[in-house]
Amino acid sequence: MARIDTQNVPSPIGENAPRIDAREKVTGAAIFADDIQFGNSLLHARIKRSPHPHAFIKKIDVTKARALPGVKAVVTGQDFPGYIGLYLKDRHIFCRDHVRYVGDPVVGVAAVSEEIAEKALDLIEVEYEVLEPVLDPEFGANPKAPVLHPDLGQYSVANFIFPQPGTNISNHFKIRKGDVDSVWGKCAAIVERKYRIPHIQHVPIEPHIAIAKADESGEITLWGSSQSPFAQRNLIAQALGISQSKMRVIAPFVGGGFGCKAGVSMEALAVAIATKVKGHPVKLLLTREEEFFTAFVRQGLVSYIKMGCDEKGQLLAMENTFYWDGGAYTEYGVNITRASGYSSSGPYEVPNVKTDSYCIYTNHPVGGAMRGFGMPEIHAGLEQCIDELALQIGMDAVEFRKLNCLKTGSTLVTGSKMHATGLSTCIEKTAEAIGWGKKSPASGPNKRRGKGLALMWKAPAMPPNAGSSAWVELAEDGTVNVGVGGQEIGQGVFTVAAQMAAGALGVPYESVRIATPVDTRYSPYEWQTVASRLTWSMGNAVVNAAKDAKRQILDTVAEAWEESPEDLDIVNGMVISYKSEKEMPLKNLVIYGLPKPGGQGWVGGPVVGRGNFMPTYVTGLDAETGQGERAVVHYTTGAQAVELEVDLDTGRIEILKGVSTFDVGKAINPELVKAQMEGGFVQGMSSALFESLQLKDGVVKNPSFVDYRIATSADTPRDLEAYIVEVAQDDGPWGARGIGEHSMVPTIPAIANAIYDAVGIRFDGPPFTAEKVYLAMLDAGIVK
Amino acid sequence: MAFHKINVTINDELEQVVVPSNMTLMAMLRESLAMTGTKNGCSAGECGACTVLLNGEPVNSCMVLAVECDGANIVTVEGLAEEKQLSPIQQAIIHEGGVQCGFCTPGILISSHALLKRNPNPSENEIREALVGNLCRCTGYVRIIESVKEAAKIQSAAT
Amino acid sequence: MTINTHPALPEFEYVQPTTLAETSEFLVSHPGEARPFLGGTDVFVRMRDGFLTPKFLVDVKNLNGTNNLSFDPQSGLTLGAAVNMNRVIASPEVQVHYPLLAEACRSVASYQLRTRATVVGNICNASPAGDTIGACLALDGTLQIHGTDGLRQESLSSFFLGPGKTTLKPGDIVTAIHFPLPPQKCSGTYLKLGRNQLSDLSIVGVTALGHPDSSCESGYRFRLALASVAPVPFVPVEAETYLANHSITPESLREAAYLSANACSPIDDVRGSARYRKEMVRNLSAKALTEVWKNLN
Repeated sequence: MARIDTQNVPSPIGENAPRIDAREKVTGAAIFADDIQFGNSLLHARIKRSPHPHAFIKKIDVTKARALPGVKAVVTGQDFPGYIGLYLKDRHIFCRDHVRYVGDPVVGVAAVSEEIAEKALDLIEVEYEVLEPVLDPEFGANPKAPVLHPDLGQYSVANFIFPQPGTNISNHFKIRKGDVDSVWGKCAAIVERKYRIPHIQHVPIEPHIAIAKADESGEITLWGSSQSPFAQRNLIAQALGISQSKMRVIAPFVGGGFGCKAGVSMEALAVAIATKVKGHPVKLLLTREEEFFTAFVRQGLVSYIKMGCDEKGQLLAMENTFYWDGGAYTEYGVNITRASGYSSSGPYEVPNVKTDSYCIYTNHPVGGAMRGFGMPEIHAGLEQCIDELALQIGMDAVEFRKLNCLKTGSTLVTGSKMHATGLSTCIEKTAEAIGWGKKSPASGPNKRRGKGLALMWKAPAMPPNAGSSAWVELAEDGTVNVGVGGQEIGQGVFTVAAQMAAGALGVPYESVRIATPVDTRYSPYEWQTVASRLTWSMGNAVVNAAKDAKRQILDTVAEAWEESPEDLDIVNGMVISYKSEKEMPLKNLVIYGLPKPGGQGWVGGPVVGRGNFMPTYVTGLDAETGQGERAVVHYTTGAQAVELEVDLDTGRIEILKGVSTFDVGKAINPELVKAQMEGGFVQGMSSALFESLQLKDGVVKNPSFVDYRIATSADTPRDLEAYIVEVAQDDGPWGARGIGEHSMVPTIPAIANAIYDAVGIRFDGPPFTAEKVYLAMLDAGIVK
Repeated sequence: MAFHKINVTINDELEQVVVPSNMTLMAMLRESLAMTGTKNGCSAGECGACTVLLNGEPVNSCMVLAVECDGANIVTVEGLAEEKQLSPIQQAIIHEGGVQCGFCTPGILISSHALLKRNPNPSENEIREALVGNLCRCTGYVRIIESVKEAAKIQSAAT
Repeated sequence: MTINTHPALPEFEYVQPTTLAETSEFLVSHPGEARPFLGGTDVFVRMRDGFLTPKFLVDVKNLNGTNNLSFDPQSGLTLGAAVNMNRVIASPEVQVHYPLLAEACRSVASYQLRTRATVVGNICNASPAGDTIGACLALDGTLQIHGTDGLRQESLSSFFLGPGKTTLKPGDIVTAIHFPLPPQKCSGTYLKLGRNQLSDLSIVGVTALGHPDSSCESGYRFRLALASVAPVPFVPVEAETYLANHSITPESLREAAYLSANACSPIDDVRGSARYRKEMVRNLSAKALTEVWKNLN
C-alpha cells in the first residue's frame, strides 16, 4: 500500500478560507430576524415611551387604546414587578412608578398591524409629575443631586461591583498602586487634562428586533437579533420568575451588533407583551429613530487624567478620575466602569497609579456595551496625554511609547504580570508603515498635513467564570456538523469555528457546517458574543469537542483494526494508521460504527464530540486597591497611526492613510482579522470626526441619519493598511486571542495627535468636526 | 383607504399584487411577496439597505410607493444571479471579503450592479460616489470598493 | 418631547390625474387636504415624521410634458417637473450648456435619491438648503405653472417667501422650469459644505456664475446664491453689484466674499453654528469666485 502523504495536507488554520456564510448573504437568502415568516397569527407591538428625562408616573389610562379594534393587548409595568439586569438588577421591563430617560418604555401595545398599534399609542394617556433631572455625571455624583435610584442598596448585584446606596454612584472602582502623591515632585514633566467624551451609538444597519411567543404551557420562544441568546434566556427568565428551561431563544444572523445587541434591552418588552396574547408571536421592530437612543448607547465620559515622567521619559505616576455618564440604568455599564478602571494605565508600565472610576446614574439614554467597552473613551484622553508628556520632555512620541510600553513580564496596573506580548513590534511596524519621522508635503497651500500614533490594550471584560461549549457530530457522508452558542455578527466566527473544527478533527474545511441558527434548546451554552472572546474561548470549546470526537473515532477504529489509537490519525477526512498504513474514510464509521474483528458484534456508534472551556485562573481584585494576581484572562495589544490633512478653509479633516497593527496571537483566518482591523479603524475614525448624540435637556436632538453622520464610502481613507503580529496566547487555540473590538480603540487619539501635528491644536473631546476644528484655528489665529 | 391592483415585473416574473395607497415598494416586496432579501434599515431614504432597481435605476424602495410601480420592472438582490452562476459583483464581493454581517450587502450589490452597467470601468472616485447612499458599519468600505473594481474585471473578461 | 416619527407612512389616498386641468381642479377643490408630489423624497419623510398628514397625495409625474427634457438652440432648456436629477446630470445638452446645473444636481444626497429627486421638486420644497436652487437662480430659471386659470410663467427670483413657503396658490402645480440660453462664455460652480465628504445636506452652499458683460463697469457680471444661510435661498445683491462696478482682482473677489458673508443671516442649529456658517460663506464664496474668475480668463 502506498505511503500516506501526511506532510502536504494543508491545514485550514492560518488560511484565508472563504466565509462560510457569504453565498447566502450575497443572494439575499440569509435570514435575519425580520425575515422569518410567522403567518397570520403574528401581532405587532409598539411602545409608548416617556417624553420626560425624569418623572413620576401618576396615572396611566389605556381604556381607549384597549377599545381600538385590532388591539389585542396593552401592558404596563404593573404586570411585571421583576427586576432585570446583567451585573446589577436595576430596572423593570416596563417602568413601574418612575421614568428615568426620554424613551423609557411605559406602555406596550400588541395589535393585528403595526399601524393599529401605532395609532393605539396616541390613545393612551399618561400623567406625569416632572422631576428634576440629572444631566451631567459630575453633578450626579454630587450629594446635592436628586437620587435617581433610592433602592440601589436593595438591588441584586455581582460581587465585583460596588454600588454606593443613597447616591447616584452605581459602581466605584479603585486602583491604589504605589503612592502617586509622593512621586509628583520627582517628575520632570507632568500633564494634567480634562476630557469630555460624548455619547455615541453603535448604529448597526439592522435595527433591534425581537419576536416573542408564549404558548399555553407557559413556554416562551424569543427570536431576535441577538449577541446573547443564553444571557437573554437567563435574565428574562429571572425577571419573569420562571425556569430558564421555559425560555427558548432562537438567534439568526445579526445585521451588526457592536455590543448594542448584547445583554437584554428591548427583547424583554416583546416577551412581556407576548405573555398576554398566548399563542401569538408578537414582533417589535425599532424604528431607526428609536434605535439611536432607546435600546443601548455608548455612555459619555468626563475624565480627569494626570500623568508624569522623569527626565529620561520613564512614566512615574498616573492619576485618573472617570465620571461615567451611565444613563438611566447601569446594569451593563457598571462593568465598563470596572474594566476602564483596571485598564486605566493604558498599555504601559507605571509604578504608581491612583484611579477612581465612577459609574453615575443620569437621566440620559442607557449606556451599554459598545466595541471597546470603555477603552476607546479612556484611550481618547490617555494617548493624547502621552504625546503631550513626550513633547514636554523633548522625546519623540514613538520612542516614548517604546520605552514605557508593556513588554513580556511587565508589572501591570493591577499588580499582575504581562503575558507574552508583541506590542513593541506593533509599535515599530505601525511607525514604519506610516513613515514616522518623515514629513510629506501638504497637497495644497490651504492644507496642513500631520501624523499621529496611539497604542491600546484591552482584556475581555467578563465574569471570571464565563464559559463556552460546543459539540461535534458527523453525518453519513462524512460532513461535520458543529454546534456552537456564539453568534455570527459579521466578524466571521462561524467561518473560523469551522476552520478550527476542521483543523482539530482532521477534515477539510469545506466539509464542516455550523448548526445554525443558534437555538438555546439545541445549541450548546455560550456566555455572550462580546468582549472579542469567541475565537479564543469558543474556539477552545470547539477544539475540545473536535478532539473528543476524534478520540471516539480513533478508539473505535483501533478496536476494529486491533491497533493502538496512538498509531492512528485523521487526515483530510480519512482515518489512517501510521503503523499498518491502512486507511478508511470517516463516513464509513461515524454513524454505524465498525464490525468487531472476527465479525462478532459491533463497536462504536454515532459520534458526538463534546467540549467546553472556562478560564479557571481568574482571581478577583481587591476592592480598595484594585490589585490582584490575575484579574483578566489576557490582553490584546496594538497600535494605530494616521496621516491626515486639515483644510484651512473649512476645518475639514481628510484621513489620507490609516495603519493598524495588532498582536492577535494567531490569525486563524488572516483576511478576516484584517477585515476587523479595517472596519474598526473606520468606525473609530467615524466616531472621531462625525459622531455624537446631541443631548439637550435629556433629549437626543439628532436621532436620524440626516443629523447623526457616519462614515460613508466617500469618507474611508484611500490607503488603509492592516498588519498582523503573532505572539502566541498560551491558552488560545493555536495561540489565538481576539481582535474584534481593539481596532476601534486607539483611533480617536491617533487622529487627535495627528491634528496637533498638523495645526498645533487639541480639543477636550471628539468629534473633531470641521466646525470645531475651524473655529479653534480661528480663535488660535491660525486662520483669519 | 383604497387598495390598488397592480401588475409589476420583479426579477423577470410578472406579479399581480393588491396594495394599499400608503404601502411602500419595500413593504410590498418584504411583506406582500415575502421577498426578504431587500432590507429595512431606516425607512427614510438614508441608509440604502432597501435599494432595488426600478426600471433599471437604483432607488430606495422605502421612498417609492408600491402603487407607483404599476407596470414597472423591478430587480432585487434575489434576481442578480443567473440560474446557478452568481453575477460578477456577487462573486467579487465574496472573493474580496466585502461581506461581514451582510445586512447592507443586498443594497450594495444592487447599487454596484447598476454602476457597472452604466459605467463598465469606473474609477475609484466614481465607485465611492456611486455607493455613498449605501451605509455599511462593518467593513469600512475598502473591500467593497475593491470588489467593484474586481467585478469590472470579471465583467469585461466575460464580454 | 415624544418621538413623532412613525414606522410607516400614515394613511392617505393615492390619486393619479391624467391632465393638468384635472390636477388643478382636484387640488383647488380639496384645499388643505391634497398635496402634489413628484419624487416624494421630501414629502414621504415629512409624513413619516408627522409633519404632513395629507388626505390625498396627488402624483403629478405623468402629466403632459412633465417628463421631457428638451434643449432648443434658440430658446434654451426646458426641464419637465418629473425629470429626475440623474437624467439632468447625464444629459449631454445640460453638460455642454448648463454644467452648473449638473454640478448642483450631482451634489444632492445619493444616486438612489437622485433617481427620484427632481429639480422642480427641490424648488417647490423651498428649503433654504435646496442644492439646485442657487443654480436655477443664477441661470435665470422661470417656472411654468398650471393653475385654475391655466398656464403662466413666474420668475424664480420672487418665488420664495420663507422656509417651505412659495408664491404657489391652491390649484397650482409647476409643470416645468425653463432656462434661457446661458450668457456667452460663462463659467459657474457650486461649492457645497457638508459635515462629511458627500451625501449630506448643505451646511453652507455657494453658487457662483460669471460671464463677460460689457454693460458692467468691471466688464463682468457675477451671479451669486447662498444655501442654508437665510430663511430662503439667498442672493447677496450687494456683492453682485460690487463685482459689476469694481475691476476684478483677488482683492475685489475677496471683498465680494466679505459682502456675501455680511449680508446673510444664518442661524445656530443642530447642524452648525451661525458663526461657522458666516465664516464658511466668506471662505467658500472667495474660493468659488476665484475658481470662476480663473475659468473666465
